[in-house]
Amino acid sequence: MNMSSLVRTGAGILMPFLLVFGFYIVLHGHLTPGGGFQGGAVIATAFVLLMVAYSYEIIWERISLEFLKNTETLGLMLFILTALIALVAGLAFFGNWLLGAGGLFGTPVSYGINPGDLNTGGVIPILNIAVGLDVLGAMSVIILTMLFAVRRDA
Amino acid sequence: MKKVLTWIFVAVFAASLLLCAAGLEFGAPAYRDMDDYMIAHGQEETGANNIVTAVVFDYRGFDTLGEATVLFTAVLGIGLVLRTLAMEDEEYEYE
Amino acid sequence: MIGMVIQVLTLSGLILSAGLVWYFRDLLSAAISFGVFSFLLSMEVLFLQAPDVAIAEASIGAGLTTAVFIIAIRATQKVTEADGE
Repeated sequence: MNMSSLVRTGAGILMPFLLVFGFYIVLHGHLTPGGGFQGGAVIATAFVLLMVAYSYEIIWERISLEFLKNTETLGLMLFILTALIALVAGLAFFGNWLLGAGGLFGTPVSYGINPGDLNTGGVIPILNIAVGLDVLGAMSVIILTMLFAVRRDA
Repeated sequence: MKKVLTWIFVAVFAASLLLCAAGLEFGAPAYRDMDDYMIAHGQEETGANNIVTAVVFDYRGFDTLGEATVLFTAVLGIGLVLRTLAMEDEEYEYE
Repeated sequence: MIGMVIQVLTLSGLILSAGLVWYFRDLLSAAISFGVFSFLLSMEVLFLQAPDVAIAEASIGAGLTTAVFIIAIRATQKVTEADGE
Protein backbone atom coordinates (compact mmCIF):
# COMPACT_ATOMS: atom_id res chain seq x y z
CA MET A 1 0.00 0.00 0.00
CA ASN A 2 1.78 3.07 -1.26
CA MET A 3 0.62 6.48 -0.15
CA SER A 4 0.21 9.26 -2.70
CA SER A 5 3.30 10.92 -4.11
CA LEU A 6 2.50 14.08 -2.16
CA VAL A 7 2.87 12.20 1.12
CA ARG A 8 6.04 10.46 -0.05
CA THR A 9 7.66 13.71 -1.16
CA GLY A 10 6.66 15.41 2.07
CA ALA A 11 8.11 12.57 4.11
CA GLY A 12 11.34 12.74 2.14
CA ILE A 13 11.64 16.48 2.69
CA LEU A 14 10.80 16.29 6.39
CA MET A 15 13.02 13.29 7.17
CA PRO A 16 16.46 15.01 7.42
CA PHE A 17 15.08 17.89 9.49
CA LEU A 18 13.43 15.47 11.91
CA LEU A 19 16.65 13.48 12.22
CA VAL A 20 18.74 16.60 12.85
CA PHE A 21 16.23 17.89 15.39
CA GLY A 22 16.15 14.54 17.20
CA PHE A 23 19.92 14.21 17.40
CA TYR A 24 20.15 17.84 18.52
CA ILE A 25 17.76 17.12 21.37
CA VAL A 26 19.75 14.04 22.37
CA LEU A 27 23.18 15.69 22.23
CA HIS A 28 22.12 18.94 23.93
CA GLY A 29 20.08 17.13 26.56
CA HIS A 30 22.09 18.60 29.43
CA LEU A 31 21.77 22.18 28.18
CA THR A 32 18.37 22.67 26.57
CA PRO A 33 14.93 21.14 27.20
CA GLY A 34 14.72 17.54 26.15
CA GLY A 35 16.94 14.58 26.71
CA GLY A 36 17.53 11.04 25.62
CA PHE A 37 13.94 9.87 25.82
CA GLN A 38 12.44 12.82 23.95
CA GLY A 39 15.12 12.87 21.26
CA GLY A 40 14.89 9.12 20.71
CA ALA A 41 11.13 9.41 20.36
CA VAL A 42 11.52 12.18 17.77
CA ILE A 43 13.96 10.08 15.72
CA ALA A 44 11.61 7.10 15.99
CA THR A 45 8.81 9.35 14.73
CA ALA A 46 10.95 10.15 11.69
CA PHE A 47 11.30 6.43 10.96
CA VAL A 48 7.59 5.89 11.50
CA LEU A 49 6.85 8.69 9.03
CA LEU A 50 8.91 6.80 6.47
CA MET A 51 7.12 3.54 7.30
CA VAL A 52 3.71 5.16 6.92
CA ALA A 53 4.56 6.86 3.62
CA TYR A 54 6.13 3.99 1.70
CA SER A 55 4.84 0.57 0.81
CA TYR A 56 5.45 -2.68 2.61
CA GLU A 57 8.03 -4.09 0.19
CA ILE A 58 10.25 -1.01 0.19
CA ILE A 59 10.32 -0.91 4.00
CA TRP A 60 11.07 -4.64 4.14
CA GLU A 61 14.02 -4.15 1.79
CA ARG A 62 15.46 -0.92 3.16
CA ILE A 63 15.01 -1.04 6.95
CA SER A 64 16.58 -3.94 8.78
CA LEU A 65 14.90 -5.24 11.94
CA GLU A 66 18.19 -6.69 13.13
CA PHE A 67 19.91 -3.30 12.91
CA LEU A 68 17.27 -1.64 15.06
CA LYS A 69 17.38 -4.50 17.59
CA ASN A 70 21.16 -4.15 17.79
CA THR A 71 20.79 -0.39 18.26
CA GLU A 72 18.50 -0.93 21.21
CA THR A 73 20.76 -3.51 22.80
CA LEU A 74 23.79 -1.25 22.28
CA GLY A 75 22.02 1.63 24.00
CA LEU A 76 21.06 -0.51 26.99
CA MET A 77 24.57 -1.97 27.31
CA LEU A 78 26.15 1.49 27.12
CA PHE A 79 23.75 2.73 29.80
CA ILE A 80 24.52 -0.05 32.26
CA LEU A 81 28.28 -0.04 31.53
CA THR A 82 28.48 3.71 32.17
CA ALA A 83 26.67 3.19 35.45
CA LEU A 84 28.92 0.27 36.41
CA ILE A 85 32.21 2.06 35.71
CA ALA A 86 31.26 4.45 38.52
CA LEU A 87 31.61 1.50 40.91
CA VAL A 88 35.14 0.87 39.61
CA ALA A 89 35.95 4.56 40.09
CA GLY A 90 34.93 4.29 43.73
CA LEU A 91 31.65 6.17 43.52
CA ALA A 92 28.08 5.01 43.99
CA PHE A 93 26.12 3.29 41.22
CA PHE A 94 25.27 5.99 38.63
CA GLY A 95 27.91 8.25 40.17
CA ASN A 96 29.20 11.04 37.98
CA TRP A 97 32.74 9.81 37.40
CA LEU A 98 33.59 12.18 34.51
CA LEU A 99 32.60 15.37 36.31
CA GLY A 100 35.30 18.00 36.39
CA ALA A 101 38.03 15.62 35.21
CA GLY A 102 38.90 17.88 32.30
CA GLY A 103 38.59 15.24 29.60
CA LEU A 104 35.52 14.23 27.63
CA PHE A 105 32.49 16.20 28.87
CA GLY A 106 34.60 17.17 31.86
CA THR A 107 34.97 20.94 31.60
CA PRO A 108 34.09 22.53 34.94
CA VAL A 109 30.77 24.35 34.78
CA SER A 110 30.46 28.05 35.37
CA TYR A 111 27.77 28.37 38.01
CA GLY A 112 24.76 30.58 37.78
CA ILE A 113 22.91 31.59 34.65
CA ASN A 114 25.12 30.98 31.61
CA PRO A 115 24.64 30.09 27.94
CA GLY A 116 26.10 26.64 28.52
CA ASP A 117 28.96 24.63 27.08
CA LEU A 118 28.48 21.35 25.25
CA ASN A 119 31.57 19.84 26.86
CA THR A 120 30.16 19.80 30.39
CA GLY A 121 27.94 17.48 32.32
CA GLY A 122 30.26 14.57 33.08
CA VAL A 123 28.46 11.31 32.52
CA ILE A 124 25.07 12.83 31.69
CA PRO A 125 25.58 13.30 27.90
CA ILE A 126 26.77 9.69 27.61
CA LEU A 127 23.67 8.45 29.43
CA ASN A 128 21.60 10.72 27.18
CA ILE A 129 23.06 9.16 24.05
CA ALA A 130 22.58 5.67 25.50
CA VAL A 131 18.93 6.26 26.35
CA GLY A 132 18.43 7.94 22.97
CA LEU A 133 19.72 4.87 21.13
CA ASP A 134 17.63 2.63 23.39
CA VAL A 135 14.37 4.52 22.84
CA LEU A 136 15.02 4.94 19.11
CA GLY A 137 15.56 1.22 18.66
CA ALA A 138 12.70 0.16 20.93
CA MET A 139 10.02 2.36 19.38
CA SER A 140 11.09 1.55 15.82
CA VAL A 141 11.18 -2.18 16.56
CA ILE A 142 7.68 -2.05 18.06
CA ILE A 143 6.17 -0.23 15.07
CA LEU A 144 8.14 -2.25 12.51
CA THR A 145 7.19 -5.60 14.06
CA MET A 146 3.55 -4.56 14.12
CA LEU A 147 3.80 -3.45 10.49
CA PHE A 148 5.36 -6.74 9.44
CA ALA A 149 2.71 -8.67 11.30
CA VAL A 150 0.02 -6.95 9.27
CA ARG A 151 -0.70 -8.71 6.02
CA ARG A 152 -0.10 -6.53 3.02
CA ASP A 153 -3.62 -6.99 1.74
CA ALA A 154 -5.27 -6.52 5.13
CA MET B 1 -31.18 0.65 33.92
CA LYS B 2 -27.60 -0.21 33.10
CA LYS B 3 -27.17 3.06 31.24
CA VAL B 4 -28.53 5.08 34.16
CA LEU B 5 -26.14 3.30 36.53
CA THR B 6 -23.25 4.05 34.19
CA TRP B 7 -24.11 7.73 34.09
CA ILE B 8 -24.47 7.87 37.89
CA PHE B 9 -21.07 6.21 38.26
CA VAL B 10 -19.48 8.63 35.79
CA ALA B 11 -21.04 11.62 37.58
CA VAL B 12 -19.87 10.47 41.01
CA PHE B 13 -16.38 9.72 39.70
CA ALA B 14 -16.06 13.11 37.98
CA ALA B 15 -17.45 14.92 41.02
CA SER B 16 -14.98 13.24 43.37
CA LEU B 17 -12.08 14.09 41.06
CA LEU B 18 -13.20 17.71 40.73
CA LEU B 19 -13.72 18.02 44.50
CA CYS B 20 -10.19 16.76 45.12
CA ALA B 21 -8.79 19.19 42.56
CA ALA B 22 -10.78 22.15 43.86
CA GLY B 23 -8.94 22.11 47.18
CA LEU B 24 -5.50 22.30 45.63
CA GLU B 25 -3.53 25.47 45.36
CA PHE B 26 -1.88 25.90 41.98
CA GLY B 27 1.89 26.12 41.91
CA ALA B 28 2.45 25.83 45.66
CA PRO B 29 3.55 22.32 46.67
CA ALA B 30 3.59 21.64 50.40
CA TYR B 31 6.80 19.62 50.50
CA ARG B 32 9.50 21.43 48.58
CA ASP B 33 12.72 20.82 50.49
CA MET B 34 14.04 18.42 47.84
CA ASP B 35 13.13 20.82 45.02
CA ASP B 36 14.92 23.70 46.69
CA TYR B 37 17.99 21.58 47.31
CA MET B 38 18.14 20.36 43.70
CA ILE B 39 17.63 23.84 42.26
CA ALA B 40 20.31 25.30 44.53
CA HIS B 41 22.96 22.58 44.19
CA GLY B 42 22.10 20.75 40.96
CA GLN B 43 24.40 22.73 38.71
CA GLU B 44 27.55 22.32 40.77
CA GLU B 45 26.89 18.70 41.73
CA THR B 46 26.06 17.36 38.27
CA GLY B 47 27.59 19.86 35.87
CA ALA B 48 24.45 20.08 33.74
CA ASN B 49 22.63 23.32 33.08
CA ASN B 50 19.32 21.56 32.54
CA ILE B 51 18.10 20.65 36.01
CA VAL B 52 15.45 18.28 34.66
CA THR B 53 18.07 16.16 32.92
CA ALA B 54 20.27 16.39 36.01
CA VAL B 55 17.47 14.94 38.12
CA VAL B 56 16.53 12.26 35.59
CA PHE B 57 20.04 11.01 34.86
CA ASP B 58 21.99 11.76 38.01
CA TYR B 59 19.87 12.07 41.15
CA ARG B 60 17.29 9.56 39.93
CA GLY B 61 19.39 7.30 37.75
CA PHE B 62 17.69 4.16 39.03
CA ASP B 63 14.33 5.37 37.78
CA THR B 64 15.76 5.86 34.31
CA LEU B 65 17.23 2.37 34.43
CA GLY B 66 13.76 1.08 35.32
CA GLU B 67 12.25 3.03 32.43
CA ALA B 68 14.74 1.53 30.00
CA THR B 69 13.94 -1.92 31.39
CA VAL B 70 10.22 -1.32 30.92
CA LEU B 71 10.84 -0.32 27.31
CA PHE B 72 12.99 -3.41 26.74
CA THR B 73 10.29 -5.63 28.26
CA ALA B 74 7.69 -4.05 25.98
CA VAL B 75 9.85 -4.78 22.92
CA LEU B 76 10.40 -8.33 24.19
CA GLY B 77 6.64 -8.88 24.60
CA ILE B 78 5.83 -7.46 21.16
CA GLY B 79 8.54 -9.61 19.62
CA LEU B 80 7.29 -12.74 21.35
CA VAL B 81 3.66 -12.18 20.41
CA LEU B 82 4.12 -11.06 16.81
CA ARG B 83 7.30 -12.96 15.93
CA THR B 84 5.69 -15.90 14.16
CA LEU B 85 3.66 -13.63 11.93
CA ALA B 86 6.72 -11.59 11.01
CA MET B 87 8.78 -14.69 10.30
CA GLU B 88 6.05 -16.17 8.12
CA ASP B 89 6.07 -12.96 6.15
CA GLU B 90 9.63 -13.65 5.14
CA GLU B 91 8.38 -16.39 2.85
CA TYR B 92 5.33 -14.40 1.90
CA GLU B 93 5.26 -14.26 -1.87
CA TYR B 94 5.00 -10.93 -3.53
CA GLU B 95 3.21 -10.74 -6.79
CA MET C 1 -5.17 38.40 28.60
CA ILE C 2 -4.29 36.88 25.23
CA GLY C 3 -2.57 33.99 27.01
CA MET C 4 -5.73 33.36 29.02
CA VAL C 5 -7.81 33.23 25.83
CA ILE C 6 -5.37 30.79 24.23
CA GLN C 7 -5.41 28.57 27.30
CA VAL C 8 -9.19 28.52 27.45
CA LEU C 9 -9.36 27.67 23.74
CA THR C 10 -6.82 24.87 24.16
CA LEU C 11 -8.63 23.39 27.15
CA SER C 12 -11.99 23.55 25.32
CA GLY C 13 -10.37 21.82 22.37
CA LEU C 14 -9.02 19.15 24.72
CA ILE C 15 -12.46 18.42 26.14
CA LEU C 16 -14.04 18.54 22.68
CA SER C 17 -11.52 16.14 21.11
CA ALA C 18 -11.73 13.79 24.11
CA GLY C 19 -15.50 13.75 23.66
CA LEU C 20 -15.08 13.09 19.94
CA VAL C 21 -12.93 10.04 20.71
CA TRP C 22 -15.86 8.66 22.67
CA TYR C 23 -18.46 9.78 20.14
CA PHE C 24 -17.07 8.43 16.86
CA ARG C 25 -18.16 4.95 15.85
CA ASP C 26 -15.50 4.80 13.15
CA LEU C 27 -12.24 3.66 14.71
CA LEU C 28 -10.00 5.56 12.31
CA SER C 29 -11.76 8.84 13.12
CA ALA C 30 -11.40 8.08 16.83
CA ALA C 31 -7.67 7.42 16.40
CA ILE C 32 -7.17 10.68 14.52
CA SER C 33 -9.08 12.68 17.12
CA PHE C 34 -6.94 11.01 19.79
CA GLY C 35 -3.93 12.36 17.91
CA VAL C 36 -5.52 15.82 17.95
CA PHE C 37 -6.08 15.40 21.70
CA SER C 38 -2.41 14.55 22.23
CA PHE C 39 -1.29 17.53 20.18
CA LEU C 40 -3.51 19.94 22.14
CA LEU C 41 -2.28 18.39 25.39
CA SER C 42 1.32 19.00 24.36
CA MET C 43 0.44 22.63 23.51
CA GLU C 44 -1.16 23.05 26.93
CA VAL C 45 1.88 21.54 28.66
CA LEU C 46 4.08 23.92 26.68
CA PHE C 47 1.99 26.88 27.90
CA LEU C 48 2.54 25.63 31.46
CA GLN C 49 6.32 25.94 30.84
CA ALA C 50 7.31 22.28 30.72
CA PRO C 51 8.96 21.89 27.29
CA ASP C 52 10.44 18.49 28.19
CA VAL C 53 7.02 16.97 28.65
CA ALA C 54 5.74 18.81 25.59
CA ILE C 55 8.36 17.25 23.30
CA ALA C 56 7.72 13.78 24.71
CA GLU C 57 3.95 14.15 24.43
CA ALA C 58 4.09 15.56 20.89
CA SER C 59 6.33 12.81 19.55
CA ILE C 60 4.91 9.84 21.45
CA GLY C 61 1.26 10.82 21.80
CA ALA C 62 0.66 12.48 18.47
CA GLY C 63 3.16 10.48 16.40
CA LEU C 64 3.84 6.98 17.60
CA THR C 65 0.56 6.14 19.35
CA THR C 66 -1.49 7.22 16.35
CA ALA C 67 0.70 5.08 14.09
CA VAL C 68 0.25 2.10 16.44
CA PHE C 69 -3.52 2.58 16.46
CA ILE C 70 -3.73 2.91 12.67
CA ILE C 71 -1.60 -0.19 12.11
CA ALA C 72 -3.73 -2.13 14.61
CA ILE C 73 -6.92 -0.97 12.90
CA ARG C 74 -5.54 -2.06 9.54
CA ALA C 75 -4.68 -5.47 11.01
CA THR C 76 -8.12 -6.21 12.42
CA GLN C 77 -11.43 -6.80 10.72
CA LYS C 78 -14.33 -4.43 10.77
CA VAL C 79 -17.41 -5.61 12.63
CA THR C 80 -20.60 -3.96 11.49
CA GLU C 81 -23.58 -3.13 13.67
CA ALA C 82 -25.49 -6.22 12.49
CA ASP C 83 -22.76 -8.64 13.56
CA GLY C 84 -21.81 -7.10 16.86
CA GLU C 85 -23.72 -6.42 20.04
